[in-house]
Amino acid sequence: MKTNGDDAVKVVPVRHLGQWVAASIAMLIVAMIIHTLFSKIPTGQYTCRVTDGIRKCRPITEWRFSWDIVFRYFTTSEILHGLLLTLEITVLSMFVGIFLGIVIAVMRLSTNRVLSMTAWTYTWFFRGTPVLVQLFVWVYIALLYPTLSIGIPFTSVTFLHFATKTLFTPFVAALVALGLNEGAYMSEIARAGLIAVDEGQIEAATSIGMTRRQTLVYVMIPQAMRVIIPPTGNEVISMLKTSSLASTISVIELLGAAGNIYANNYLIMPLLIVASLWYLIVTTVLSTGQFYVERYFAKGALRTPPPTPIQRLRRDVAGVLSKFRTPRGIVGARP
Amino acid sequence: MSVPMVEARAVHKSYGGVEVLKGVDLTVVRGEVTCLIGPSGSGKSTLLRCINHLEKHDAGELRVDGELVGYEARGGKLYERNDRQICAERARIGMVFQRFNLFQHLTVLENITIGQIKVLGIEPDAARKRARELLARVGLENKEKHYPSQISGGQQQRVAIARALAMEPKLMLFDEPTSALDPELVGEVLDVMRDLAVSGMTMIVVTHEMNFAREAAKTLYFLDGGVIEESGNPREVLSAPKSVRLQSFLSKVL
Repeated sequence: MKTNGDDAVKVVPVRHLGQWVAASIAMLIVAMIIHTLFSKIPTGQYTCRVTDGIRKCRPITEWRFSWDIVFRYFTTSEILHGLLLTLEITVLSMFVGIFLGIVIAVMRLSTNRVLSMTAWTYTWFFRGTPVLVQLFVWVYIALLYPTLSIGIPFTSVTFLHFATKTLFTPFVAALVALGLNEGAYMSEIARAGLIAVDEGQIEAATSIGMTRRQTLVYVMIPQAMRVIIPPTGNEVISMLKTSSLASTISVIELLGAAGNIYANNYLIMPLLIVASLWYLIVTTVLSTGQFYVERYFAKGALRTPPPTPIQRLRRDVAGVLSKFRTPRGIVGARP
Repeated sequence: MSVPMVEARAVHKSYGGVEVLKGVDLTVVRGEVTCLIGPSGSGKSTLLRCINHLEKHDAGELRVDGELVGYEARGGKLYERNDRQICAERARIGMVFQRFNLFQHLTVLENITIGQIKVLGIEPDAARKRARELLARVGLENKEKHYPSQISGGQQQRVAIARALAMEPKLMLFDEPTSALDPELVGEVLDVMRDLAVSGMTMIVVTHEMNFAREAAKTLYFLDGGVIEESGNPREVLSAPKSVRLQSFLSKVL
């Protein structure tokens, strides 16, 4: 059917009025917030000048968010040192957590009742008490166990002897506390992943003569990874911020470093912003890394892998641009 | 005459109080194809799984290649075999599943090499060479880099057969290998199985493909309610069933 000599019929897309209104309000609010980020406020002081015998005064203003101070402290050595310590605590305690998590999950799924009950108790205890309490307990562990020794249990024979106080420095206590606590959460994540592996995969592995350990290592864990990775990414990001609790046991990580500085100069807000910006930067980097790790472990499970963020951005831009062109085509031919 | 590949005498198996196998007797001769037919729930799959140690039978005597399954007879006592021994035995019995069960995270080639490398301890290069030979044998030499989700069901099942053959089995078990396939894909899998039968592989096939049973099998067993109702030469059994239950079963499936 031809309308006006043109082969194509004009397509009028649906207008979503409600969405337009909601988006406008959202944009207004965002604009207001951004405005406050870069606005100035009066300090209460004035600068005065006498010209031709007349005194003229005007108020002194400063950045509401003290960006100049934020910028000045952003890369000081104390802050960078704290950031490094934060990263160390996050990475090391996550390693401890993931390793323990897998071990506990495998124990939990064991047919042996003693092993599975031990695993259950572990998770129950470390998930059931506040991590802050656990941090304090580990840093003061010497009160309960003044010495640690390796020897024959229930006898006085010992081969190695440590003073607990020298072993459990605040840094070590933080690693142990955060690692053990994380192990409890990771074990539930790992268990969910292992349970999600199809029974048929396990039977197939068994049928070609794999032992239970081989089945676990070569078939179950690689497939469980796909389920385990996304929540583990969450855990890493969560750990990055939980590590700030270590500042309460005098481990001077990022927040601790910021705190030490503002305890001297009272620039509380600017230094909290410095710390927050660093946490945001690291979280962004971690989220990007998580995406690629997920993509890697999805191999075989998806026929076409999901687009990378850059591919998606390009597609979104192309989509927005196409909105400004008048769609032309046969009615119904548009997908 | 040599020892039969599989010999079952009064094999019983229950799952939580429900008796699935109620005394099954069966003999599988070396180099022959044996088909098991019967309605669902009759115990066909359970019998296969007992032969492969995937399940433990409760009573009766089950021998594979002259050896008791899961036990060792020494000095008038039966010693339960440990996991390692059972795994070693299982490795020599190939199994093909209804739902293929290819390892989803591995490519087609890796699916066939992993058992050779990890279980048999074969060098990766030699394993890959053998895997490629087997892929050519099942007609899939150009699919080695694909993942299971990227190929059709019939192709997946042929890869599963190649995976089992890679372990150089003395016995192959097929648990309804074509039941999950679209009708037009059944033929390609049955062709591979026929070739395998011709090459002299000892095979036990649980199937609903009566034509395949008639042509390829030397012996046919009809299982119903956990017992062998009827057995014999498939042509005779299928064309002139004696028992009423087989008659009614055949009238439904043929």
